[in-house]
Amino acid sequence: MGARILIAEDEPFIVESLSFLLSREGHEVDAVDTGSEALRAVQRRRPDLLLLDIMLPETNGFDVLRRLRAAPGLEELPVMVLTAKGQEADRKRMMELGADDFVTKPFSNRDLLARVASLLGAAARPAG
Amino acid sequence: MARLPIGQRIRDSRMASGISQTALARSVGISPSYLNLIEHDKRMIGGALLKRIAGALEVPLGRLSGGDDEGLASEVAELARTLAAPGLDEPAAARFVAQAPDWAAAFVQLHRRYRDATETALALSDRLSQDPALMELSHAVLTQISAIRSFAEILEQYPDLAPEERTRFCSIIAAQSDRLGSSAREMIALLDGAKNTPTPTSPRSEVDDFIHHCGNHLPVLEEAADALRRSLETAPQPLAAAIESRLVQAHGLRIRRGDPAEAASGAGRDVLTLDEGALDSTLRFQLARTLAERELGAAIDGLIQDDRLTSDEARQIARRALANYAAGALLFPYAPFHEAAERSRYDIDRLGQRFAGSFEQIAHRLVTLRRPGAEGVPFAFLRADPAGNTSKPFSIPGLRMPRLGGACPLWALYRALATPDRTIAQLAETPNGEQYLFIARSQSKRAPSFAGAPVSYSVMLGCDAAYGERIVYFDGFASGKRSLATPVGFTCRSCARVGCAQRAQAPVRAGGPAKNEGSQPTAQHGMMAD
Repeated sequence: MGARILIAEDEPFIVESLSFLLSREGHEVDAVDTGSEALRAVQRRRPDLLLLDIMLPETNGFDVLRRLRAAPGLEELPVMVLTAKGQEADRKRMMELGADDFVTKPFSNRDLLARVASLLGAAARPAG
Repeated sequence: MARLPIGQRIRDSRMASGISQTALARSVGISPSYLNLIEHDKRMIGGALLKRIAGALEVPLGRLSGGDDEGLASEVAELARTLAAPGLDEPAAARFVAQAPDWAAAFVQLHRRYRDATETALALSDRLSQDPALMELSHAVLTQISAIRSFAEILEQYPDLAPEERTRFCSIIAAQSDRLGSSAREMIALLDGAKNTPTPTSPRSEVDDFIHHCGNHLPVLEEAADALRRSLETAPQPLAAAIESRLVQAHGLRIRRGDPAEAASGAGRDVLTLDEGALDSTLRFQLARTLAERELGAAIDGLIQDDRLTSDEARQIARRALANYAAGALLFPYAPFHEAAERSRYDIDRLGQRFAGSFEQIAHRLVTLRRPGAEGVPFAFLRADPAGNTSKPFSIPGLRMPRLGGACPLWALYRALATPDRTIAQLAETPNGEQYLFIARSQSKRAPSFAGAPVSYSVMLGCDAAYGERIVYFDGFASGKRSLATPVGFTCRSCARVGCAQRAQAPVRAGGPAKNEGSQPTAQHGMMAD
């Protein structure tokens, strides 16, 4: 059964390729292109997974993650961060803020899909 | 500072001149066996005998005493420390310089080039990781590559794509490739613009060498400045006004006050823009330097034809340094300045009032008082900005001013930064037990203004404490109590005071156990000067 996935990414062609890939896997995909929209959309639609770009306009990926983790009911939402190569320091910071996984741009489709599947699988299995 | 093997120099010079040990011994009035001991560094030598030997061998005294090579040896030792090679200590550096001076000089040159390259690489890497424009561009490039890669993989991995999907994805790849090309061009343009950001330090080191070689005293410029001043003093007006009218009348210069940064672009050679925010002493100096550049250019150009200055950039820096020297000589004439310095016991504020100079200008002029027969106290000089970066190093035997990075953080030079406009006197004791008097003060170069950016430096003079009686700043230490002295080092790397609370870098110890001495900064006399 497909999951509901929200993509927060401001580059339309990346959104298009991700949407294509995830839809083909049977997921239901939504996309927003700013950080503040991502926060609103998460509250409203309660997705099963958030794909979050770090360099977002308005509210960047760090702030989105920080506020998500502080919001009641969203502490457990699986978040996969999209970073650009060479942002090792950013990656460490995102991990500390509670990101669940990373994909580095430029990413391989297969790797990205495998990580999405594993995150959704982990989220579906209740802990313990 | 390690003693250089004088004996070996004497032996080398003697053999080069083809004189036998016996002949040389006879001509200087000592026994051949005594000369033999000297040549094997079994006997200390100096003073009159060394002069006689230099005379008999017809070589400059500096070549035998090692004075010529002392700077070189110190730089070799300093770079050995930066390489953290424990076997390469100061005596080893001194031996290397004595045995192969040309190789040592080449080694130092090579190391300077290496430092330039390292600094350039660091500056570029800083730029890459901190420049927001570059970060944005690299993010864009990576995003474009991501889209291209992802769609290329989709085309390959999904054979069942609809024809319109296939066409759309191919056109996205083409469009993103175009954008990638322009992003790459933008990035290259940005990096091209950065090319001139790092300034190589080698030319500056060459100029430091050159100034050092001249002993920071240039009779040619002293005489030329004296002659120039005599030609100005025929006018019945103060010196600065006479300089200004000479620039206007004889050189057709228009002098105006404004923002030099704005004026630099538009104004031609005939306009001199004086920084309206600068202090009077700075303005006077600027006028004097401009006149020196115009009227003493030939003397300056003659001096900079020196093998030590290997690039146009180094010669340009040297030209500027010599114009500054000439300006100092013009504003603070040697004979009366030297006489006033001795009479006031080197009271820099008194001298500043009498000659209308800033602390830095007066301090700098004091360093140049090396005229044979009318010598002032030999001073070393160092300047630091508020970030601790040092510049204008001038060393004296035993007191080596660092030219790489910072000095010992306990030096008065840095203390002065915390208390602007106060003169700090410090009796500094080096790890080998030698005592030096440090006199430091940090001062702004511009008149106070809320909006203008402050430009300030700390300036320090240092001299052997043996000259203390001639210097007013020493009075507080004259009791000779050892507790008045502050234990200091030269640089953290070379310092063996393991207990020092201000240590910034681990020491590199060259043999021998580290000394564990008390290193709390003790006595300092802050004297209100204004």
